[in-house]
Amino acid sequence: MKKFLIVLMVLFFAISLLGAEKVLRVLMPIGGGYTIEDQEAIAKEFEKDNPGVKIEMEFVGWDELWNKIITSIGAGAAPDVMYIGSRWIPALAEMGAIIPLDDYVSPEKKALYYDTVWDTVTYKGKIWGIVRAMSTKVFIYNKKLFEENNVPIPKTWDELLEAARKIYNPSKGIYGIAMAGKKFVSTVTQFQQYLYANDGRIVDENGKVTINNNNAVEALNFYVKLSKYAQPGILEWKREDLIKLFETGKVGMYIDHVHNALKAIEKGIDVGFFMIPGGPSSTKPFSTVIVTDSIAISSQCKDKELAIKFMEYMTSFEKQAEWDLKLGFVPPMIKEKDLQEFQKWYWKPYIDAIKYGYPEAVNIKDWEGVQEVVLDAIHSVLLGVSDAQTALNQAAKVIEILQK
Amino acid sequence: MTKKKTVPYVLIIPLLIAFGIFMFYPLYKVIENSFYESSFLNPFKRQFVGFENYKWLFNFKLFNPKWSYFMSAFGRSLLWVGLSVTLKIIIGLGGSLLLNSKHLSGSKIYRILIVVPWAIPWAMGAMMWAWTLNGQFGIVNSFLLKLHIIKSPISFFSTPLTAFISTILVDVWAGLPFVLIMLLSGLQNIPEVLYEAATIDGAGDFTKFTKITLPTLKPVILTVSLLSLVWTFNSFDIIWILTRGGPLNSTETLPIAIYNVSFLMTRFGGIGKASAMTIAQVLLVTIVSIFYIKILGKGAEG
Repeated sequence: MKKFLIVLMVLFFAISLLGAEKVLRVLMPIGGGYTIEDQEAIAKEFEKDNPGVKIEMEFVGWDELWNKIITSIGAGAAPDVMYIGSRWIPALAEMGAIIPLDDYVSPEKKALYYDTVWDTVTYKGKIWGIVRAMSTKVFIYNKKLFEENNVPIPKTWDELLEAARKIYNPSKGIYGIAMAGKKFVSTVTQFQQYLYANDGRIVDENGKVTINNNNAVEALNFYVKLSKYAQPGILEWKREDLIKLFETGKVGMYIDHVHNALKAIEKGIDVGFFMIPGGPSSTKPFSTVIVTDSIAISSQCKDKELAIKFMEYMTSFEKQAEWDLKLGFVPPMIKEKDLQEFQKWYWKPYIDAIKYGYPEAVNIKDWEGVQEVVLDAIHSVLLGVSDAQTALNQAAKVIEILQK
Repeated sequence: MTKKKTVPYVLIIPLLIAFGIFMFYPLYKVIENSFYESSFLNPFKRQFVGFENYKWLFNFKLFNPKWSYFMSAFGRSLLWVGLSVTLKIIIGLGGSLLLNSKHLSGSKIYRILIVVPWAIPWAMGAMMWAWTLNGQFGIVNSFLLKLHIIKSPISFFSTPLTAFISTILVDVWAGLPFVLIMLLSGLQNIPEVLYEAATIDGAGDFTKFTKITLPTLKPVILTVSLLSLVWTFNSFDIIWILTRGGPLNSTETLPIAIYNVSFLMTRFGGIGKASAMTIAQVLLVTIVSIFYIKILGKGAEG
């Protein structure tokens, strides 16, 4: 009995000691290059510099991140700091789940990033997250296939279609372009590339739903036209898997991240890049969708100062550069591009694309809902169930309700 | 005497507590939620709405003017589950008869091989099938092409019909081992003397099957198909990994639809409506099960 009491006391003491530490709960994603080790290393370093602080990191796969965030908020147990897709900011801000960070972002910090980067985390004039990872996308092409078929680098949509048509040779298993169509967020982004390239938007700057205007219909029709020269059955492919197809050397081109292009180079493919050309209704020569992930602070967080400190630490210039280099992300900070690594030839098109970029989800209040609706529209047109105008009208009807 | 009676109750308490915490409480919560309007987008604002969420099941027709979202998912589920369970039972019965046959050598090896799909985590099995059936890299297509059964590869998950069939087949693959092993153990329990007697009476193989095997096996078939029915109705991960309910909504069965309503269509749906869908599904499965037991169980009892 005595022994038992002693053990109990020791346990109690140990627990109270733990309680004396400041604990910060942080939610982080895994998958897509994000490993537990890399992220825990950051936490360890921060703990070393800040004695008495304990960073409790929790990891969730990208697929479950959204559910995890909204369910933990509903349960009143939201993590203090969370890593989010910036496309969720409007919904989380409307929920009152995250706090605006305007008071904590110094002018110096603000000046570090491109303006477009801030656009991706701004909602109703306020900043709701600090960007941690950014991507632009350009076309990756197989030089050998382009040369064999005498295809010049496309500068317009007509030339793009012509390039895909010339390379397309299904009897040899060679496809002009690799495309995505699976029910997945990246399929929406792939379509958005053409939508933006034609000056179309899902929701415009003023919050008006424009997914069914002429520019958008033209973009969706073009997506379907291009798909004729793509690998068969694009509806079973998500963008993340297209690299496997491109690596076989049997695909002319497709839109993807730089880090996937590097994989193809490693496999011995002679890779080139070109920026996504503007469509017939566009006013700009090129376009790209800017996707960012950011770090946000929960409104349920008790020690906001500590949360801000950790966020500042993670997104300092050194840490950010280290992270981008490690994962092969496009640098969101202007000065990063002067680093030696970013001088390499394959980075240029991605960094150049930033100035033509437009954020993935500006003004979209309920991304997850919009995503489902847009996917339905893409599917019904690809499957020939309806024409682009009808499908996008239906999408617009639903998105208008979602925007209310 | 009294002591003897209390002990079993005491022993069963932990189980009851566990049941209460992990089954009845969540179930109670779902029932409660189904009468409230609430959404993850607005978690702290709950409003009692009575049967509104249940009405919503039948009148939410934003995506399809003909059928409500719930009804179309429900109809699809019935077809999907019906086909899947039927296939599992038919193939399971055939397979177990084969494995039980005296003429088959090496049946032990087959038995081990057959359990493999059951031993692989379903999520992993589904990933494996996603690539096996892939239109570009899939080994199934490669076989069919080499055998000249098809001229060009089929992208199984890219059209509504093929996706629907393919997800069923993958589900059958995953659920079959259980059915097969259970039926096999049932077969092994049939006394050999019955067959010997029948042989003496001059009965043929078919008569033996219909008059001895099937009637004796009936309780096992009933149990197995009932369990399989409930599990298949709740099957989520296989479809989610293979198609996420697509293309369009061709593979959107009830569990997928419930997920969509609670997490993705948070504005139209929400926890309340998803709970109502869940309760509807629980009721349906229960009713189907009761009918099933009533109809098929009659002979077994007598």
